[in-house]
Amino acid sequence: MRFSLRSRAARCTAILITALLTAGMGEPGSGIQLELRPRVCTLAANEKQCSTTVHADWHSPREESLCLVILGRADVERCWEHYSQGTYSIELVFSDDLLFELKDSRLDTVLASKALRIIREAIRYRHRRRDPWNIFQ
Amino acid sequence: MWSATILTGMRKLLIACVLTATATAGAARASPVDDCDAGSPDCVAVGKWNFSLALGAGVRTNPLVHGQDLPLPVVPQFSYYGKRFYIDNLDVGFTALEGGKNTLSLIASPGYDRIFFYRSDLQNIFVNIGGASGTNPPPPPVQFPSRSRAVTYLAGPEWTFNDHGIVGQLDVLREVTGHNHGEEVRTAIQFPVRSSTDAFSATIGLTWQSAAIVNYYYGAPRVYESGSALRPFLKLGYTRPVGRGWRFEVIAQYEHLASAVADSPIVAHNYVVTSFLGFVHAF
Repeated sequence: MRFSLRSRAARCTAILITALLTAGMGEPGSGIQLELRPRVCTLAANEKQCSTTVHADWHSPREESLCLVILGRADVERCWEHYSQGTYSIELVFSDDLLFELKDSRLDTVLASKALRIIREAIRYRHRRRDPWNIFQ
Repeated sequence: MWSATILTGMRKLLIACVLTATATAGAARASPVDDCDAGSPDCVAVGKWNFSLALGAGVRTNPLVHGQDLPLPVVPQFSYYGKRFYIDNLDVGFTALEGGKNTLSLIASPGYDRIFFYRSDLQNIFVNIGGASGTNPPPPPVQFPSRSRAVTYLAGPEWTFNDHGIVGQLDVLREVTGHNHGEEVRTAIQFPVRSSTDAFSATIGLTWQSAAIVNYYYGAPRVYESGSALRPFLKLGYTRPVGRGWRFEVIAQYEHLASAVADSPIVAHNYVVTSFLGFVHAF
């Protein structure tokens, strides 16, 4: 009896581990990789906006129907039907971080996302010359 | 003679302080200081050019005999601050030590008095881009040899301080362009009286010029030869922001010329008055 219980528990554990290991592998949207180039945009001290061409590449172990969107930018949307990879290039002008999202074709579920970040060059300050001898200071 | 000895000692002391500050502060502390930020009017961004333009009515009197007063309708100003190096209109400087209150620099600055002899002097261009064309003043009533006065530059250490809004400056300079080899001390202290939106300031200052400089501008061998000169001044200023990068500004300065200058046959007045009333826009 004890042996039977132990055997049953081992079998359940094996099934559970197998289920966990295989979970999601067959589900749509799993294993999708999204890459952006460039990943960051560096602004000089006198620049306020980034202006650059952004390349987005995605890969999936199976065919997917999905769309690439940018959060807060409703004008940007590129969709694919039954593809396992895709590439999209776009000229963008932006002053804040951008979040690229791959969503299912109904735009309900986020399947993958990557951020394009802005790094601003730190502006350093120093004291202005004090020159009271000068007439206009 | 004693004044030259004091001046040389003071100059050497200040240069030693500058060199020591450069050596000790060089790696340990860069020029930009921690208490500076974008919101402070006393601070400026490193690596950026600054331009401003003053438009209004103003004049600087010319103490020379028959010297024409210098109108000031347009006053452009510019500056650039690097980590240590800076350009402040026609002055250039290297900051050896910059603290919250004290700053030690080596500076080079043009000789001041040439502005009365040449309208085309750059110091007039960057104080006044309008006005009459450049001409030498008419000959003085006494026989005074006509000669040119070249653009000169003086260089030396500068110490400035800012404590509770009181701003002080001490420059100990020597002419380095080889025209008169004179020495000059420029010192001033400014007392601000501020309210919520506008600012009023009073400045008293003193310029000491060695005999070499005085005679270079106002002397002539066997006609007029003078000793050193002390030139005190009082300046009052008022400024009020009026929005969109503009501010209203009023400046009035009275400088008294020492007898060493005023007694020259080519000098008619023992004072220089500078005044300006107008608006300044910072770009």
